[in-house]
Amino acid sequence: MTDLKKLAAECLAKLRAAGADTAQARLSLSEKREFNIDGGEFSLFRTTFNRSLTLIAFRETKTGSVVVNSFDPDAINRAISDCMRSVESDSPDPARGIAAYQGERELVYGEPEPDAEKFFAATKRLKADIEERYPTIMMEQMINSHDKTESVYADTNGNLFHMLYGSYGVGLMFSAHRDGKSSSFMGCEYDTVDLDTPLIEQGDIARVLSDVERQIDTVPVEGSFTGTVIFAPDCLGGLLRTAIGCFASGTPLIDGTSVWRDKLGQAVASPGFTLSLAPHHPDAILRQQLTGDGYLTEDFDLIRNGILESFVAGIYVSNKAGVPRSKNTATGWLVMPEGDRSLDELIAGVKDGLFVYRFSGGHPANNGDFSGVAKNSFRIRDGKLADAVSETMISGNLADMLLSFEGASRERVKDGYSVLPFAAFSGITISGK
Amino acid sequence: MLREFETKGRDLFGGEPDAEVRRQRNTTRSISLVQGDLHANDRSETAGVSARVIRGGVAGFASTADLSEESVGTVLREAQKNAAFLDGQVSLGKPALPSAARGAFRMTREPGDPEQKAYIEFARAVDEYVVKNCPKLVSRRLVFRADCMEKVLTVPGGTDAHTFLPRCYLYLFFTANTPDGVPVDLFTALGGYGSFDQLFRDPKDVFPEVDLLYGKLLAKTEGVRPEAGLKTCILGGSLAGMLAHEAVGHTVEADLVIGGSVAGPMLGRVVASPLVSLVDFAHSAFGRAAPLPVYVDDEGTPAVDAEIIRDGILVGYLNNRDTAVRFGMKPQGNARAYAPSDEPLIRMRNTAILPGHSRLSDMIASVEDGYYLTDTGNGQADTTGEFMFGISMGYEIKNGKLGRALLDTTISGVAFEMLKTVDMVSDTVTWSSSGFCGKKQPMPVGLGGPELRCKLLMGGR
Repeated sequence: MTDLKKLAAECLAKLRAAGADTAQARLSLSEKREFNIDGGEFSLFRTTFNRSLTLIAFRETKTGSVVVNSFDPDAINRAISDCMRSVESDSPDPARGIAAYQGERELVYGEPEPDAEKFFAATKRLKADIEERYPTIMMEQMINSHDKTESVYADTNGNLFHMLYGSYGVGLMFSAHRDGKSSSFMGCEYDTVDLDTPLIEQGDIARVLSDVERQIDTVPVEGSFTGTVIFAPDCLGGLLRTAIGCFASGTPLIDGTSVWRDKLGQAVASPGFTLSLAPHHPDAILRQQLTGDGYLTEDFDLIRNGILESFVAGIYVSNKAGVPRSKNTATGWLVMPEGDRSLDELIAGVKDGLFVYRFSGGHPANNGDFSGVAKNSFRIRDGKLADAVSETMISGNLADMLLSFEGASRERVKDGYSVLPFAAFSGITISGK
Repeated sequence: MLREFETKGRDLFGGEPDAEVRRQRNTTRSISLVQGDLHANDRSETAGVSARVIRGGVAGFASTADLSEESVGTVLREAQKNAAFLDGQVSLGKPALPSAARGAFRMTREPGDPEQKAYIEFARAVDEYVVKNCPKLVSRRLVFRADCMEKVLTVPGGTDAHTFLPRCYLYLFFTANTPDGVPVDLFTALGGYGSFDQLFRDPKDVFPEVDLLYGKLLAKTEGVRPEAGLKTCILGGSLAGMLAHEAVGHTVEADLVIGGSVAGPMLGRVVASPLVSLVDFAHSAFGRAAPLPVYVDDEGTPAVDAEIIRDGILVGYLNNRDTAVRFGMKPQGNARAYAPSDEPLIRMRNTAILPGHSRLSDMIASVEDGYYLTDTGNGQADTTGEFMFGISMGYEIKNGKLGRALLDTTISGVAFEMLKTVDMVSDTVTWSSSGFCGKKQPMPVGLGGPELRCKLLMGGR
């Protein structure tokens, strides 16, 4: 067995000896066991064993990083040499830094040890359940895997964190077919540690499969109108992450192009809108334990009751943009509180709009303008789900959209990372042919 | 480098009839200059060996991050064990696949691998020019990314290979404000197949591209939103390439055909205007090297061109050895794996719509009221052929003349319907190859096409 802590300490010592003022080392050993179904049939059983070594060195505020997947002494020496040459080619930037001393931690979470036979049986049952309950569904691909990782983070400030974690991942891609017609393809995925509950009863799979079966026959939207859109949780998560990327993190904060740059403590969403970055939420299977800088993470509210409470910033962005460092940078772990009404009641409140499972759109401009195709979606008319729609585009502005939040459902979907409801936003342009 | 492994490992198969062993090394070099500050200065290398064994129609696969002879034996045994487990569980009972042609293909020229300093100094020289000559920018980002896949493939029933696939690009991302203070952005990717030292000799060579991008961005700051709805458009060559790849190419990947793609029932039928022909090129196209040449795939099949649409008729799928048997077609070298730990999947290589006979100027002159769409940053499509492309640059066409620039918008359509509306095809193909195709694994691909006059659904506000 490789002693990752010992190896990390050796790497840091060598980086110091090579001239680094400060340095970080991340080492990991990972194993994957994966079953694939293609075109409705089992096709592949795959096991992979990998390792990774990331070295980041700083000297006089210059930096460089190297990633290799070998722990061979010669490879490590080459990596250190490459890393220090990269450092020398850099220019100084005092905005850089690594985490202050926090001590040592042992962190174990998820289900690190797989039960491959039980997982295969659960996968086989999921396939059978889908075939029996949803006869029009054609399984383009199912990729179910268990991933185990042991990793160590160490730095020259004395931080040493040892982590062991694992989980079962379930991922499906499918469409519904009948009489030569088909729905759009749809995907579902989640992570779990529970192999006792049938996989079809976890995540949001059953609802989505059922609704995709109703999307074989579609009706185009005529003309263009402004309406309310209810986004399904997975789609909502994608849009919220995009908004964070445009307005609340990274380069847009540094170069000042973020429209939220001066909005800390001010309203950026409707008063009923709250969004947290919560990698330690009880329903999170895997967790962001550390930021890239080496800080142990804590949950925080990005937006509370419509007010921007924080940006998403590590040390560099914090120093460069002059904004406070955030308690985590875990944009994959979004949590919204449950709403005050059921999904049916949420739909009942919409006179004319769309229910959108999937948004096929490009990355918006920095100003948040977006447009794209509403896929796997239904028209909402007079408070009821109507026909599935085809060739329908939606467009708007992400910043404006958050200010037009109309409410969220009590039902929330847990995918092992995020916990999100169905959410309604008004003022979105909906256009068809 | 993996040269020492070219002739090793053949004796380890032990009579396994359908297996392959792949030793691989992927490298990435990247730097990112944001507002003149170096934000990223990274080098990465991932190496390993994998084995795949096929039994009864299912595959066992294993990999490890170790290139030793001992590791080859380990992953082969693990792959055999996995194949036996799955075969025992599902008993598909499929017969053995036909072998590919025996042979060997070895590239001898190894790409260069300069140190980070070379990328940084080049980028800083370009950045200096940008600062001096692009005064209205509110943000600028210059990114160098070089990657290379080196593979040594050993296949008892196929063609052994030692290949390199190096790429290097300089991406320029510019942002400027509209008169109302709203930021708009535009980017371009310069470079292609080869290593930094082959492609980027002098920063001055890049300056005209900086000027071009800046000029387009300034026009965009004065841009207008297009009208939403079905419009007559001239789709630029890079967009036609994206259409060829995203909206047609994926639907004819045979694994997706089996999974229910729209192309399944369309073989031999009209799917496009007779002006449209489409080919997935292996390693050369139009008398020149293709943007990202593939000579042997990761099942050991020698790569040849795959014809997909001929004069508007769907004539073929993209296959691996397994699906080729199922559809009665020949495998043409489309089974490709990205990382050392990845199994081969059916992937495109260099997918392009073939050029026609119209001149772009005549095409523009023929449009009374429509749009010329030139640049895209992204695109998606699904197996129904319905696509969405982000338009990052375009122009109005009014009475046969180019008008105002457009702000960001989106176009959408259904490929096999939209392609039937094509009534003019330009005589020039534009290639691009700077991105990754995503399908379980990323994959570098080339995509290209001529300008197409057609009907498209424009997004708008």
